[in-house]
Amino acid sequence: MIRFIIAAVFIVAGIFVFAAAAFGVFKFKYVLNRMHVAAKCDSLGALLILIGCMILGGFSFMTLKLLLILLILWVTSPVAAHLIVKAEVKTQNEDDSDEYEVIGK
Amino acid sequence: MIILEFALITFLIVCAIAFTFSKRLLTSVIIFMAYSLIMSIIWLIMESPDLAITEAAVGAGVTSVLLFLALKKVNALKGKKDE
Amino acid sequence: MSNSNYNKDKIPSTHSKAPWNAFVGWVNGDTPEDKFEKPELYQAPKQSHDAHNEESAVQQTPMPQAENEQEYNTDHTEQGHFLLKEKFTKFYKVYIVIAVIIGCFVVGILAYAVCCLPPYGYAENPVNNEVSEKYLEDGLEDTGATNAVAGMILDYRAFDTFGESTVLFVAVIAVTMLMKRSMNKKDEEGERLVAHETEIDKKDQNLILKYGAMILVPFIILFGVYVILNGHISPGGGFSGGAIIGGGLMLYAMAFGHEKISKIITYRSFTVITSCALLTYAGCKAYSFYTGANHLGGDIPKGIAGAILSGGFILPLNICVGITVAFTMYGFYSLFSKGDI
Repeated sequence: MIRFIIAAVFIVAGIFVFAAAAFGVFKFKYVLNRMHVAAKCDSLGALLILIGCMILGGFSFMTLKLLLILLILWVTSPVAAHLIVKAEVKTQNEDDSDEYEVIGK
Repeated sequence: MIILEFALITFLIVCAIAFTFSKRLLTSVIIFMAYSLIMSIIWLIMESPDLAITEAAVGAGVTSVLLFLALKKVNALKGKKDE
Repeated sequence: MSNSNYNKDKIPSTHSKAPWNAFVGWVNGDTPEDKFEKPELYQAPKQSHDAHNEESAVQQTPMPQAENEQEYNTDHTEQGHFLLKEKFTKFYKVYIVIAVIIGCFVVGILAYAVCCLPPYGYAENPVNNEVSEKYLEDGLEDTGATNAVAGMILDYRAFDTFGESTVLFVAVIAVTMLMKRSMNKKDEEGERLVAHETEIDKKDQNLILKYGAMILVPFIILFGVYVILNGHISPGGGFSGGAIIGGGLMLYAMAFGHEKISKIITYRSFTVITSCALLTYAGCKAYSFYTGANHLGGDIPKGIAGAILSGGFILPLNICVGITVAFTMYGFYSLFSKGDI
């Protein structure tokens, strides 16, 4: 029971972080602010939720798999966020309304 | 589980409609990526992991990269500083 | 509409090229309204007109009138374009109405068909007929594969999968014909573009992507190999594993540039390996036909179900399909981005 409560606390914290990320992505206007929110909260929320799952599932082979998922997420997510931000910075214009605008309707 | 399925299918329909109505091709491709990812999760829920793996690899990964490259090839991505 | 007479007098030859120009305009995504709202854009060619503008600003004379007309005559395609757009504009509203009607009609038919479907999971559905029962009950015994899907697509329906691989192969051939820069002919534009891209690659170090790819690519390719080799035991198979390996190769090419990967995969090795994989598949299938075509590898030992070396021909066929798909995906990427393999 105590284990369940601890796991629930972790998972709810992770969901809160993700909700904050979603709120921030909608709230902020500029691309870099939005990417800041998205990238940071991605890593932290994944950590919290996966720790909750590990506690919930107990120590078994599944724990190792969850750890691998966490490692993969921690490697890929910051790199992807960095690349998106880099594309934004590279294509920055003075009137930064329509970067990467696509011709054609 | 039923709530999750309904949420996923709702998101799938929203993605399909947004994919059709988006004005920019780049946005369309990104929405298509999201569509493929949701679709792969739905395949997993419907107990066909083979299709889920294929959909995640082909639909969300390779196809999107090829579409981005095609957009770049026909110079549909405007606003690059390097050009 | 008012200057259509004028256009007809000036350019009589546009009507022959009309459908082609319409198609080109449609592909380019020009909506008819654009042309209709600002026709003055098309009365003046862009660059020369700018130059004239500067001159006339100095001289204060409407000098470029005559030259404009001459350029008007030479500029056949743009004018034809304009004419056709006018024609399309008439039908544009009708087109929207017709599209909505057809869409509602099709949606109605589909909704009606969905209403007539039997309930999901009902015991007497046509899904639950004897064919699927046969596959599910005798699949393990017949094919020796624990994964029923792999047993089905690579044993009962191996010919179908052969067709799928061939479709991918034909697609990459077509893309090669379209995209590959010719070796004999001088393609200065393409070479300039490629040089430009490589220069950008060199200038742009992208260390974070490189280190990320250095960590990830081996594991991605390893996972792909695992999915292929375990295709007959666990979920997965040749197509998904090949797509994963292709994605890993793409990531490698994206991070480290084309020069490094073209040392490993040249055009020659690409064609040889892909063709050999397809030919091996065809050979296995031909053997199965020769021995009666009952199902693939009828007299091949099945092995213990669940072991790696089991399932008759399924493992080599998975490997063949995986190689074909991986190299095809990488070939698409390489041809699209660089125009060469």
